[in-house]
Amino acid sequence: MLAYLLMSGIATGALYAMVAIGLVLVYRSTGHINFSHGELFMFGGFIAYTFFVILGVPYFLSLILAVIGGFVLGVLSDRAVYRPLIKAPPLTMVLATVGFSFFLKGIARYFWGSMEGGDYVAFPAAMDPSPIPIGSINVFPQQLLILAGAIVFVVGFTIFFRMTRAGKMMQATSENPTAAYLSGIRVERVYTLTWGAGSAIAAAAAVLMAPMTLLSPDVGFQLLLKAFAATVLGGLGSMPGAIVGGLLVGILESLGGGYIHSGVQDVSAFIVIIIVLVLRPAGLFGVRNIRDT
Amino acid sequence: MKSRRHVLSTMSAALIASMCVVGAANAEVGVTDKEIKIGALGVLTGPNAKYGNTVYDGIETVYEEANKSGGIHGRQLVYVREDDRCQAAEAVGAAKKLIHQHKVFMIHGGACSNASLAAKPEIVATKVPWVITASTAPSLTDPVTPHIFTTMLAGWMESYAQVQYAVEKGMKRVAIISQHDNWGRSRYDPLMDAFKLHGIEPVANEEIVPDPADATAIALRIQAAKADAVILVAFPKAAVVAVRDMYKIGYKPFMIGGSTVGDVGLFTKNIGIPGSTDNLHAVSTIGYTADDPAVAKWKKLVEAKYSGDTFNIYHMFGIASGQFVVEALRRAGKDLTRDAFNKAASNLSVNTDVYGGPITCTPTNHQCHNTAAWFGLVNGTTKRLATTTVTR
Repeated sequence: MLAYLLMSGIATGALYAMVAIGLVLVYRSTGHINFSHGELFMFGGFIAYTFFVILGVPYFLSLILAVIGGFVLGVLSDRAVYRPLIKAPPLTMVLATVGFSFFLKGIARYFWGSMEGGDYVAFPAAMDPSPIPIGSINVFPQQLLILAGAIVFVVGFTIFFRMTRAGKMMQATSENPTAAYLSGIRVERVYTLTWGAGSAIAAAAAVLMAPMTLLSPDVGFQLLLKAFAATVLGGLGSMPGAIVGGLLVGILESLGGGYIHSGVQDVSAFIVIIIVLVLRPAGLFGVRNIRDT
Repeated sequence: MKSRRHVLSTMSAALIASMCVVGAANAEVGVTDKEIKIGALGVLTGPNAKYGNTVYDGIETVYEEANKSGGIHGRQLVYVREDDRCQAAEAVGAAKKLIHQHKVFMIHGGACSNASLAAKPEIVATKVPWVITASTAPSLTDPVTPHIFTTMLAGWMESYAQVQYAVEKGMKRVAIISQHDNWGRSRYDPLMDAFKLHGIEPVANEEIVPDPADATAIALRIQAAKADAVILVAFPKAAVVAVRDMYKIGYKPFMIGGSTVGDVGLFTKNIGIPGSTDNLHAVSTIGYTADDPAVAKWKKLVEAKYSGDTFNIYHMFGIASGQFVVEALRRAGKDLTRDAFNKAASNLSVNTDVYGGPITCTPTNHQCHNTAAWFGLVNGTTKRLATTTVTR
């Protein structure tokens, strides 16, 4: 039982981690929580659905196209919605992201919402969906693909941030936007890039997850909640914290559901988060703000 | 003499004219020599629109067929739709508009239960006949209101049918996987009542969220309880994950699904793993799948009339209900009144083309549909396996 629960927890946690990374990315660069991140995730999934299921494009090519589509959507959302509000109070930005999430949901519902006669569409697996034995347990090949995909994206983003000029500019902007601006970095362009990158990684997560569940216009909110929990657990703004937090949320849910009761599964992670935040308010990897007195 | 004749003829003309006026004043609301105006109350826009529009497309197709064959005692059926957006406040306004502005003879519709419950007081107060098509709240027709009828299974009936079916199949150790949101509760509570009625206890009682990413923990817990049957009370998204993960761990109990997975073929396609639903039987309000040759006539008519529609279960709700209403209107006679309609509908049994059993109303029972049909895969095709008359 433990092996099954750990495997399921890690696969689900990897998804949460990927969504959380996008959330952290935007937060670190812009200082805003993107409440439309779940819907960007959902939209990426539907872009892939359009290519893979409707147009018959191969799965991996559909994944790449969805990532590109997600990036473009993130950039467009920055230019159309967020940039005009860049100097507005934080609450305005919160409302803008919430509003944008409803907008995306409406668009998705209009185009894909009743495509197969229900609220959802089926996204076929990339390979034979039958479970395969690994040691004493069975796993779905798609679960292994999720793990592999999550590792590739995390490593890819790490390399991007450490090795590329654009990544370093994003890092610098997140550390100190004013200093970055004074040193010649076009901060607004970095923000645009950040919204795009966050949306792109959400799209990748959606394409990996879609064959394991069904795709619907409402799928994003639940993922956003879990990803948000992961970022809070790991430490808001910490990239390693988002990864560890995501995995922990997945594993805790799985163990709680298996060993305590299935009714606990959905809330077990939140209970642990409350405990962690009481003991360590900045989260596991967050840096505690020291207030001058 | 001439003037007396003139007075008499004038008085006669006045008498005839006044009789005509009185006659017109007594004519039933929404009924003329040429037409009967019927209102559709339900969700036409928003995320739940298909629960309304598709049902009403089915009803209107039946009406059109009746109109083509001369109408009801020479009157054409006219169907007017008003949107309640699946919301209580909107439903009250929509009902008032149909009753007072459109002046309909009766209302034929009702999808979201919360909206229908909100509209009920206005409909009760005005005594407008109402045949409900898709709302499942039992309190809409129980206790009986003389002019309100339903052609849909009540929410509790599906749950009772599931337990009844498990018992009929000889299952001893029955487990439950259910959602505990509002929708799930409306089925879970009667499910537990049904367990009590049959004197059995579920061996495992597991909860699933409507949008899970994984249900391995649930599958393992049910397997550990050694259940030989599992009752599913879940939306398709949750049911897909639960059935898939039971299959993953190599656990293959007899599964008794709800109407949400009634199209077992589509459900299997959604899971994507052939063989994962071989042990699944699912209950349904309707008696046939959408591609069954028995309903081909209606599929052809609906898809020809509504080019955007793909014939499905919701059309069939409308077709069954439409056939019931058309027959009740016929039996109410040429001098159509609301009282005559209520009387006819209260003593009517109609074998429709799409349900597994008759729609039968009596003066003491206006929950007129009580036949649950069971579907499963036979050689890869969804087939009706049995029917259950649900009792409490």
